[in-house]
Amino acid sequence: MIKVDQTLDCKGLSCPMPIVRTKKAIDQLEAGQVIEVQATDKGSLADIQGWARNTGHQYLGTTTEGDVLKHYLRKSDPNEVKEETKYPHVIQNEELAQRLTDKENIVVLDVREPAEYAFKRIPGAVSIPLGELEGRLQEIDKNKEVFVVCRTGSRSDMASQLLAENGFENVKNVLPGMSEWNGPEEEGGK
Amino acid sequence: MANRTAIIASNGSMFDAYKVFNIATAAASADYEVTIFFTFEGLNLIHKEAHKNLPMPAGKEHFAEGFQKANVPSIEELAQMAVEMGVKIIACQMTMDVMNLKKEDFIDGIDVGGAMMFLDFAKDANMTLTF
Repeated sequence: MIKVDQTLDCKGLSCPMPIVRTKKAIDQLEAGQVIEVQATDKGSLADIQGWARNTGHQYLGTTTEGDVLKHYLRKSDPNEVKEETKYPHVIQNEELAQRLTDKENIVVLDVREPAEYAFKRIPGAVSIPLGELEGRLQEIDKNKEVFVVCRTGSRSDMASQLLAENGFENVKNVLPGMSEWNGPEEEGGK
Repeated sequence: MANRTAIIASNGSMFDAYKVFNIATAAASADYEVTIFFTFEGLNLIHKEAHKNLPMPAGKEHFAEGFQKANVPSIEELAQMAVEMGVKIIACQMTMDVMNLKKEDFIDGIDVGGAMMFLDFAKDANMTLTF
């Protein structure tokens, strides 16, 4: 099960209804929330992807259960991509990819939503969504070097600052993040 | 600038209606600005009574069952949805005069205008479609 903020039932509906309903539903969501759109219209896969490209909302992926397609979308925040990075210690995707073998000494902390994490992540990455981080700091080993990653470097910037404020001394924000990650990855399961 | 889709609907069969309203509502879903100019037989697609019972094209009557099976929304619903989503509908004044139709004969939320009213929108559109 992928954690979502809303589930939208479009089963049995044909084009253009899955798109129309998705638009109406996402208008009601807060930025950052995730919606699961259930549809039986096979065309909805390409339609949802095209719709996301045009609206700027984030298409996370699709799973199939029998005849039902489950599309996952995250409502984007208009400021998300533009926000200034403030945490000073950063590392590029490529550098992190080279450090991944050093498992003993590093933690990769993924602060995206669980639905984003489920479809594509760095192998061994720990999932703690930004919104839950403050209450779950004890799950992270302070003695290790912590690499914080999200989609574009914005949420991970906030998470890096939060960690630094709470006594984590060796924290790096990974830029640009999963949106352009070309290193090793895994998906599915937990 | 936002994407703009300008559509001319000038035919009056059931098939034409789906082509027009599917494209229009999908575009509106993606936050495109959409204006449809309904002219000649196209006026049937927004006529209060006529659009509830649009004819299949000659020889294609057997598709009626397929429409039901595929659970396609009715044209009445699609037209209303288009209006709710901000699709601008222009009924052609000249055709209305020729056919002796009044604004009240059409669904709510439409405008009546001439060719220039449509062209004024279409000149800045990045997609112009005719059905």
